[in-house]
Amino acid sequence: MPRAVKGVLVECDPSIKALIINLDSKNHNVVLADLDDEHLVIEERMVEHVKRELDSQLAENTFKPAELDDIQRK
Amino acid sequence: MSIPRFRTSINDYLEGLPEPVLIRLYYSPATCLAIFRLLPAMAQLFIMTMLFNDKPLEATDLNGWVQDGSTPKQYEALEKLRGMHLIKESQGTISLQKTFRAGLRNALTGGDHNNSFGIPCNTEDKHKVDIKFLDEHANNQWELILHFMVGTDTGKVPNNGVLSLLRHSGLMEGSAPSNMLITNAGFQFLLQDVNAQIWTLLLQYLNMSEDLQMDAVEVLHFLFMLGSLELGQDYSLVALSPTQKIMLDDLRDYGIVYQRKSSSRRFYPTRLATTLTSDTGALLTASASMDSAISQKERETGFVILETNFKVYAYTDSPLQIAVLNLFVHLKSRFVNMVAGQISRESVRKALSNGITADQIITYLTVHAHPQMRKSIPLLPPTVVDQIRLWQLEMERMKIVEGYLYSDFSSKNEYDVIAGYAHDLGVMAWEKPNKRMFFVTKEGNQQIVDFVRRKVHGGA
Repeated sequence: MPRAVKGVLVECDPSIKALIINLDSKNHNVVLADLDDEHLVIEERMVEHVKRELDSQLAENTFKPAELDDIQRK
Repeated sequence: MSIPRFRTSINDYLEGLPEPVLIRLYYSPATCLAIFRLLPAMAQLFIMTMLFNDKPLEATDLNGWVQDGSTPKQYEALEKLRGMHLIKESQGTISLQKTFRAGLRNALTGGDHNNSFGIPCNTEDKHKVDIKFLDEHANNQWELILHFMVGTDTGKVPNNGVLSLLRHSGLMEGSAPSNMLITNAGFQFLLQDVNAQIWTLLLQYLNMSEDLQMDAVEVLHFLFMLGSLELGQDYSLVALSPTQKIMLDDLRDYGIVYQRKSSSRRFYPTRLATTLTSDTGALLTASASMDSAISQKERETGFVILETNFKVYAYTDSPLQIAVLNLFVHLKSRFVNMVAGQISRESVRKALSNGITADQIITYLTVHAHPQMRKSIPLLPPTVVDQIRLWQLEMERMKIVEGYLYSDFSSKNEYDVIAGYAHDLGVMAWEKPNKRMFFVTKEGNQQIVDFVRRKVHGGA
């Protein structure tokens, strides 16, 4: 008899996957199953949290020309 | 923050109705025809095979119409037909719902005595109007609503019916016309094409009519009838029920029908009405023809200049256009006849998170490009276009599917059988045969669970 686990399948780049695994390493409450390089299953209620964290981490690495423009003018 | 999703599809609405209501709907041949036109091609094919066949079909007979590999589509079509109670199934046979069959036959063979397709006026209209006038009227009424939504000061305010509809549908907030403000959902609404906008409003109208004790069946009959009317023809009010006469007043405010006076005994459908139930292709051409009707004006009023350094100059003083630009451009300065701004990662991300797509932005910029821009090929700077698309990809770093992960199969055979079933249903999202694991979507899970139970039960 097979077993079924409720969750959310995430398909992403290996780099993004590494970030998610890293998030999980603190409390181990995110990842349910690590399937392969580009797929993992995560807890449904953590999806928004993961998205927010990813956004903030990726935003740190972005160049913002608009702000630069404003600063120069000041 | 979640954006409310529009149920723009009338199909979803119909599937949510209880069976007795649907059957009352099918008494009108015009409605049967309209519903038939809204169905996917495979479902239409199934209906046609059963339409003139009084005996029920063997369910397996339908397989002959379906190519190998299209089984998911067949399931989808049957699911749809079941959802709308168009078919009856018993002991392996399928037949069409009786009322629907009679209605659709009537519609196709012209044996309709209910006047469900509307009665053309048999007397000459002294104030006859032509198609061009109707297009203009529809456009003006519709634009009045759109302008009101973005707060253009046109001196005119739509009627109370329109206002309460906008409020009810969550497109605008506020109690009095002077303090009503557009919501996020409203902005998303603005970028949809006209036909989708109309259905969004009409579906809200349906929801609201239930609260107002109006009969949903009569409302739907009338909407579907409008979809089958001919543009430029005047129709008589004689056949309309009291509910439908009230509706006519509301629809006049949206520009879907035209009446010279509210006491007039005739009405004209506009292009907004006659394209309601056309399929997607016709819908595009219809909205395109709507566009071409105003294209002369449009071509002259192309006003946006986009530079390779992401700067945007828009020669306009229209608040509607400025408000739309503000959805995805970081506007910096405004002059008497132009606004200047910049497309940035932040501004595009804001638009994307409001549910606007990169393609919508690019289409908007292309359509409204300044004549000066039209000299260059390609029209828009490729760097900017690519970057906007990249920003969208960046938002979609993760593809997410809700569902269930299956594992711990006892044998390879068991895995193959169940995985094969999941494939047939088209609910398989991911699989790894050598690990004996797969992932199915939330929608398909119940069917898989039932299937597994049956297997285990049958095997034991």
